[in-house]
Amino acid sequence: MRSHPPIRCDGVSRRDFLHLGVLTALGVSLSDLLRLQGAEGPGAPRATSCILLWLDGGPSHLDTFDPKPEAPSEIRSPFGSIPTSVPGVRICEHLARTAKVMGDVALIRSLTHELGNHDTGARFLLTGHRPTPALQYPSLGSVVAHELRSDSAMPPYIAIPNDAVGGDSGGARAGYLPGAFSAFNVGDDPSRARDLNPPEGVSFSQADHRRDMLRRMDALSRAVEEGPATKSRDAFFEQAYRLMASSEARAAFDLERETAAVRERFGRTRLGAGCLMARRLVEAGARFVTVVDTGWDTHQQIARELPDSRFPGSGKLPSLDHAYSALLTDLRERGLLESTLVVLMGEFGRTPKLNALGGRDHWPRAGFVCLAGGGVKGGQVIGATNAFGETPSDRPISPPDLAFTILRLLGVDPAKELVTPGGRPVKVLAEGGFISGLV
Amino acid sequence: MKRSAKGLRAFRVRCELAWVAVALAGLSAVAGADNPPAFRTGVLPLLTKAGCNAGACHGAATGQGGFKLSLLGYDPEEDYERITRERGGRRIDRAAPAESLLLRKSSRQIEHEGGRRLPRSSEAFRKVLHWIEAGAPYGSRELRVLGIAVSPDDVLLPSTNRSVSLRVTARLSDGSREDVTRLALYSSNDDAIVEAGPQGEARVIGPGATSVMVRYSGQVAASRVASPFGGAEVMNPLAASEHWIDRQIGAELKRLRIPGSGPSSDAEFLRRAHLDVIGRLPTADEARAFLLKPRSREDRQRAIDALLQREEFVDFWTMRLADLLLISGRRGSEEATRVYHEWVRAQVARNTPFDELARALLTSSGRLSADGPSNFFTLASDPRDMAEHAGRIFLGAQIACARCHAHPTDRWTQEDYHRFAAYFARVSREGDFIQSGERGEVEHPKTGEPLEPRPLGARASTAPQGADRRVELARWMTSPDTTQFSRAIVNRVWRHMMGRGLVEPVDDLRPTNPATHPGLLAALAKDFVAHGHDLRWLIRSIAVTRAYQLASRTTGLNRLDDRFYSHAYLKELPAPVILDAIAQVTEVPDAFPGYPEGARAVQLIGTRTPSYALDVLGRCSRDAACDGGGRRGGGLALALHLINGPTINARLRSGVVAHLLAQGATGREMIEELYLRAFTRRPEAAELAEWERMFASASDKATAAQDLLWTALNSREFAYNH
Repeated sequence: MRSHPPIRCDGVSRRDFLHLGVLTALGVSLSDLLRLQGAEGPGAPRATSCILLWLDGGPSHLDTFDPKPEAPSEIRSPFGSIPTSVPGVRICEHLARTAKVMGDVALIRSLTHELGNHDTGARFLLTGHRPTPALQYPSLGSVVAHELRSDSAMPPYIAIPNDAVGGDSGGARAGYLPGAFSAFNVGDDPSRARDLNPPEGVSFSQADHRRDMLRRMDALSRAVEEGPATKSRDAFFEQAYRLMASSEARAAFDLERETAAVRERFGRTRLGAGCLMARRLVEAGARFVTVVDTGWDTHQQIARELPDSRFPGSGKLPSLDHAYSALLTDLRERGLLESTLVVLMGEFGRTPKLNALGGRDHWPRAGFVCLAGGGVKGGQVIGATNAFGETPSDRPISPPDLAFTILRLLGVDPAKELVTPGGRPVKVLAEGGFISGLV
Repeated sequence: MKRSAKGLRAFRVRCELAWVAVALAGLSAVAGADNPPAFRTGVLPLLTKAGCNAGACHGAATGQGGFKLSLLGYDPEEDYERITRERGGRRIDRAAPAESLLLRKSSRQIEHEGGRRLPRSSEAFRKVLHWIEAGAPYGSRELRVLGIAVSPDDVLLPSTNRSVSLRVTARLSDGSREDVTRLALYSSNDDAIVEAGPQGEARVIGPGATSVMVRYSGQVAASRVASPFGGAEVMNPLAASEHWIDRQIGAELKRLRIPGSGPSSDAEFLRRAHLDVIGRLPTADEARAFLLKPRSREDRQRAIDALLQREEFVDFWTMRLADLLLISGRRGSEEATRVYHEWVRAQVARNTPFDELARALLTSSGRLSADGPSNFFTLASDPRDMAEHAGRIFLGAQIACARCHAHPTDRWTQEDYHRFAAYFARVSREGDFIQSGERGEVEHPKTGEPLEPRPLGARASTAPQGADRRVELARWMTSPDTTQFSRAIVNRVWRHMMGRGLVEPVDDLRPTNPATHPGLLAALAKDFVAHGHDLRWLIRSIAVTRAYQLASRTTGLNRLDDRFYSHAYLKELPAPVILDAIAQVTEVPDAFPGYPEGARAVQLIGTRTPSYALDVLGRCSRDAACDGGGRRGGGLALALHLINGPTINARLRSGVVAHLLAQGATGREMIEELYLRAFTRRPEAAELAEWERMFASASDKATAAQDLLWTALNSREFAYNH
């Protein structure tokens, strides 16, 4: 006998269909159910790594990737817009290099949610869960590190310079997952991670000897029990020693090994160095690298702050343009773009109306995300906002949809159940669906 | 249907299934069937229960689909306007009530993105229909819910998987009482312990205790639900103690059948008390002296009393208060920050009562660079921001939600919030001066009317306005009747000493987040007030208990307990304390720029002194509150820094190792000395044997001693206060 129920031609079993009948009566459509079951989405994942460029503070969609040149002056960006390599798609004039690589980018213009504080908005975007005080959800980077475990010496999840994003919301941390799955913070020097080698005068063999002593001392001590509190500390020590043992992994953290030409290409900015290091880390086996660029909370003087009016060619937009376009080009040239998903986003968009100070305030109803690589079909725009950029007019995409999509592209099952330290089963994501047409 | 809204829909589908179940089960009658229900008390609760005005639906700040309701119905009059008048009254059809958009949408007779909320067969649907048939009256404007009570409010179920049906009674302004069990909203504060069903069914799914939060018509209540850890009776581990704190902790352990750990050793006690009370390790000499002979309870008390008089106590608690007050140095000049810090330090040294300290801060004026407490007002210039800081610091309350709408988990309304903020409306900063003037208002966000200040939760201003509004605020806040003031500080100190607050998080005190031991928190607060808001008294009261002096080792059975104090919880050392401990053990002090040699990290003023060690160890930046434990640092970067970085490695050659070598100490003496310094104990036989072997096989004594010191500073035992 067959052990599974008979399958109809369209792939829905009879039992499912009966079940479906009930659900339909309750207002669930067939497409909902199919999506709930994860029937949509990519086939075999092509992405093995993800680089997230996080624009901390909430980047203005109107002044970057969703310009509204036709809107009245109190809404329109102070900057002009330019055509891109994708016909019909225009972006901000200060993103000229990016305009040339838009053929690799799927631009989502209809990201929307309702959490207008930095901390809650960032947690929503970075975890795919609406924040609640009852449970700290893990960041996508931590989930990826947890699910795509590897024995590599390279830490699976790395943050440049650190994971204190969204007003230090904890959104980029491990949440209820063990601390071992939180990000390795590279630190403030974007050209080199510190403390990777034994100190001067200590050989690797002496370092090994000390490590051995440490194991024995901890084993002999009865004062502090191993428990949930100590576990994460112990795991970090383990990880540290694995990293120290691999000269290859250590080298990945050193930008001095790149030629001057490559460094110029990414721009001699912190963001440029961060993007270049992210590329090196992904090349060396890191799974998820978050590069944080701060200063996007532009409540005032967008016209002077985004491109720095004192130093032409510098400022937030030019350095982003430089680093982001270089990252995509460099990954493509090295054949890494197919296996590396690059995500560009922040916690929300900004108010369509310019405020009295020439800035824009928080606006979670509308925002943008750029997805590239990792099997994503570039050269397309998904969703749109209305004429004034206030709210999605087409295909609203929620943070859980985005999280769902990122995880699926990386081969992580969003429906999988994880377990909290208290023993409670929690799905990787509670909601969300794959953004169709993306791959 | 377009692919577009599917993501949102997935969430709604689940909500909907839950709500259909509610609706099918039928809703009990609130008002009699004949009289049309009043909007506020009879109709709005039905919509709230159906989820219509939830934050993800029409309760969102911008509404949904052009229809906005106030979040969870906090503004009934406006909701009534929107339902009956907006859009030309299309939502209500008095001529053909069943055709009302409100009903056709919510029952999904026509497309409704939010799904079917009120099925036509449900009683809720019939009641709304009945209300529209009666002309959709608002009903009495005065009739409102004054409060709700839940019963039982504290219940112990015999085991997991048992449940209790909560009953909720509303007290109305006309003196009547109504059973609103079916209409209230329920949520569990910890659903790994208790699950709350939509009808008030609380089911225990894990041992321990938590609370179920109940909300109805702007009012909140909570019920504590618990179940025991084990099946067998346990001995009260604190039975021998007469202390009132021990009696309460012990009774709860017995009730929940959690076995207690034994008492801490003298060594463990000495180390713990030093770290908690003065933020530093005992020296090797202090350890030797205390461990000379077994110590009595009185000896331990004397040790605590001595610590409370130490100069380091003043440094350490100044740091804790500076963390609380966010004295970062980023909001004023270096001089002003120093003056502020010195002022706080002087209060700690003088043991200024905490209420007096709060009053001084709340009413301060003057020159930032001369009058320390005036720097309190550099926290924010907007009165609302200032009110939020004051609420967090002194009341342990998060009032920010009520800025834009009624607080969803507390009783504060938007008006409460803005009236509270009005106390700060007349403070201004002019260059280096903080002054309190006669002009400045906080307006009601809707009406634009200037608001008279009013204490949080009060119905009317309690006293006539003086020249400075803040005087009245400070008087109210520190009055013995404002128990939240004393509970907030007592809870913070309790967490500092015991490793977990009676209320967690410590900046989220509210009726719906009750303490693990409500009676104990109340008693501690009362005792604190009765003893003149004396922080030293409070610290001493906690430190002398057997509960504080339990061992941290678990018995196995109490391993899972993390909130009933069956054993001492491991505490991570604050970043400055670890750094100072490393300096103390190695005898190599830090050199902080701008400070004299030997200055310790806990003494630093503000947080601008550059120190990678403090950053990676996770110092509180004081930009935002560190209450939630959301500190930076730690992780792999910290492990690498401890292993390879200079914080430890640059201190191994000079300092203690050099001194011991110069004295010609034997390997054994070195091992003993290092154990006493780092761990406040002598090595056990196995440890001594192990390291003596190591010394014997090492190429030279210096290297062996350095390696041992490195190992001790990286060990698990060193990293925790246990």
